[in-house]
Amino acid sequence: MNLIRLIQGDTQPEVDLRRTYDAIVIGSGAAGGMAAHVLTSHGMKVLMLEAGKKLDLDKELKSTEWPYQHPRRGEMPPGHHALSLNEYTIRQPPYAADSAFTKVYSYVQGWNGADYSKDIVVDEKDHPYTGTSYAWVRARCLGGKTNIWGRLALRLSDYDFKAKSRDGYGEDWPIAYQDIEPYYDRVDQYLGISGVKEHLPYLPDSIFQRPTKLASAELALRNSLKKMNRVLTPYRAGVTTDGLKHNKYRRRCFGRGACNRRVGGCDIHAAFDSPTGLIYPAMDTGNLTLRTNAIAREILVDKNTGKARGVSFVDAESGRAYEAQAKVVVLAASTLESARLMLLSKSGAHPNGIGNSSGHVGHNFCEHVMGPGVTALVKDRVGQPRTIDDGRPGGFYIPRFRNLSDRNANFIRGYGFEGSAGSTMFPNRAKETQGFGATYKKTVRDRAGAYISMGGFGEVLARYENHVDLDPVRKDKWGIPVLRFSYGFGDNEKKMCEDMANAAQEMFEGAGFEIVNVDRKVLTEGWSIHELGTARMGTNKKTSVVNQFQQSHDVKNLFVVDGSSHVSASCQNPTWTIMALAWRSSEYLTTELMKGNL
Amino acid sequence: MAANADLDLSRRELIKLGAAATVGASIGIGESLDAQSSASAGASAAGRAFFTPGELALVDELSELIIPTDDHSPGARAANVAAFIDARLAEAWEEQERTDWREGLRTIEQLSHEATGKPFMQSSADERLAILTRMAQNEGKPQKPEEIFFARLKSRVVQTYYTSEIGIKQEMEYKGNSYLTEFVGFDVS
Repeated sequence: MNLIRLIQGDTQPEVDLRRTYDAIVIGSGAAGGMAAHVLTSHGMKVLMLEAGKKLDLDKELKSTEWPYQHPRRGEMPPGHHALSLNEYTIRQPPYAADSAFTKVYSYVQGWNGADYSKDIVVDEKDHPYTGTSYAWVRARCLGGKTNIWGRLALRLSDYDFKAKSRDGYGEDWPIAYQDIEPYYDRVDQYLGISGVKEHLPYLPDSIFQRPTKLASAELALRNSLKKMNRVLTPYRAGVTTDGLKHNKYRRRCFGRGACNRRVGGCDIHAAFDSPTGLIYPAMDTGNLTLRTNAIAREILVDKNTGKARGVSFVDAESGRAYEAQAKVVVLAASTLESARLMLLSKSGAHPNGIGNSSGHVGHNFCEHVMGPGVTALVKDRVGQPRTIDDGRPGGFYIPRFRNLSDRNANFIRGYGFEGSAGSTMFPNRAKETQGFGATYKKTVRDRAGAYISMGGFGEVLARYENHVDLDPVRKDKWGIPVLRFSYGFGDNEKKMCEDMANAAQEMFEGAGFEIVNVDRKVLTEGWSIHELGTARMGTNKKTSVVNQFQQSHDVKNLFVVDGSSHVSASCQNPTWTIMALAWRSSEYLTTELMKGNL
Repeated sequence: MAANADLDLSRRELIKLGAAATVGASIGIGESLDAQSSASAGASAAGRAFFTPGELALVDELSELIIPTDDHSPGARAANVAAFIDARLAEAWEEQERTDWREGLRTIEQLSHEATGKPFMQSSADERLAILTRMAQNEGKPQKPEEIFFARLKSRVVQTYYTSEIGIKQEMEYKGNSYLTEFVGFDVS
């Protein structure tokens, strides 16, 4: 039935399996979306394969719906279950095996308003994995995790790219900041980012749109930190706060504050998401064909040349298998899924999996460690009139301060803090406040806007032994072998986390705040949802998987443009870097294809 | 796909949702009907009951003792907290949840009988307060069954009250979830 068809893509051509596309892009998140944008803008004919379905996100997210307008105040229906921290730590994956619940989701669905995102994240029952504890959050739908990402959009610097040269650990990246800087600029301008220039060599500024403002306690902390030569800056949000004249699918941020109330997501698309930011505009060029519900099963190889010739995929609903052909394959399925697909793609030419002559695919797996943090009461805010403190995409960011000019005795690398202060829709610490009756009610009311809290994100060192491989037995719903984790934090992370908690407490005390809670617990591996590094870049073919343009050392027409190519995790959130690198590599790909080099 | 009879309904939905929805409206009518039917399923679930009338009255009274009406705003009773908890328990996936609540309420009646020889609802305001105070005494580290039940009860009451319209708008005077032309707060320079 042909009714109203305003969502982009419904009138797109069907995938043509007899045709050879210029490129197949596997995955539609930040990396795949960016590859599709750059390649189609250069006139290349691109087929995008997305394993999940296309959702009408405006209908899913309902960002401005009040809790009491929802029959369950935003909770998921009975029988839907979100994994808890305990389940991740006490048990081993597959976590949903033998569960009595009808649907089991990763921990992010335990947050408020999870009913709005239950179609975005995967059902763990269909998507098992094995091995060591790991909270693996996946979103199989058009746009992937960009539909609910945290939006903190940071640049890396040569403190990160050249970290080995500074402290001797691991490997330097095969690029320097000056190589990626122009692409960060383009990402800023094409997608929009909010923030304030701070002129820090270790956290380069972006080309910022209108910044958010600070709550009064945040400003007090900023001023206090200056004495310690540390910086608190307004949240650098991958959100367009001034609007984007070149993008008709997105609108500027109106500070509705929906972004932090639920799992996330922005139904006016002020926050970047891959569909409205990259994929719909790419479709408007007429050069992009989208195939959703297409689970890539194997990268197909030409027996004579050893090069990639296409992708076989399984329809998620019918289970039927198909093959699509292309001159170039661009892998952007997310750090862990990309590694899985490379390992699945075994052939005579590539017996260990495509692009894996080094044996490094799945290895050097790294991410961010989190958990330690602090909450305090700001006494002069108690009993003050209510202010709007959550009408913005985020609170504040404190960039790293360890191992910059000094050298910490206990650990290498660094960590940063994300935090916020002030009023939120659900009163802060209402459940933790003791007692009952009129006194309880007044205490909650008076203090709700007077708390400030922050939590750290630290660099997990890339280690060869931290890896994933294919489970020899277990398969997913579609009969595809699943990942097996052999991964854990090490001594450096543990010592860093101890310092994180102490430093957080010290900074809050220095600002005159009254500490109410110091969290020292390190959360389960995977919790940051920043997994990186399973197909790292490098110049040495024996110890890296792709070159500085994310091109496979082994297979010239295979590119791996997502977070799997990152050489080290840094402590900055990775999305902006993923997109800047994907932009740079996609330009290189275009040039090389035109020259006939692929 | 949807029958023609559903067309008008969907159009009304679209109009109601306004401009934001029409920009990205509609993969198909089926979706919006699904949303409709799940909302009405939720509404009918909200009407389903687990508590007996006596239990419902008891939970209603307990909720009001935890978050009472004061000179600032109405309390948990006015916000229909007990009825919401009842509906959630009626549809709860795990039988254990219902069992825990029923036993918890029974424990309160036992405490009341031991203390006053009367059911909780027939004891005086001071007597009720004394029982609740006893239940709440080890809130940080509940040990006894009545202490554990207090934690369960309070968590549900607090969650439900502060997500109600009364809780959000009257009690907390929450000003967000609105369209702002400028961000609120302090500039940094």
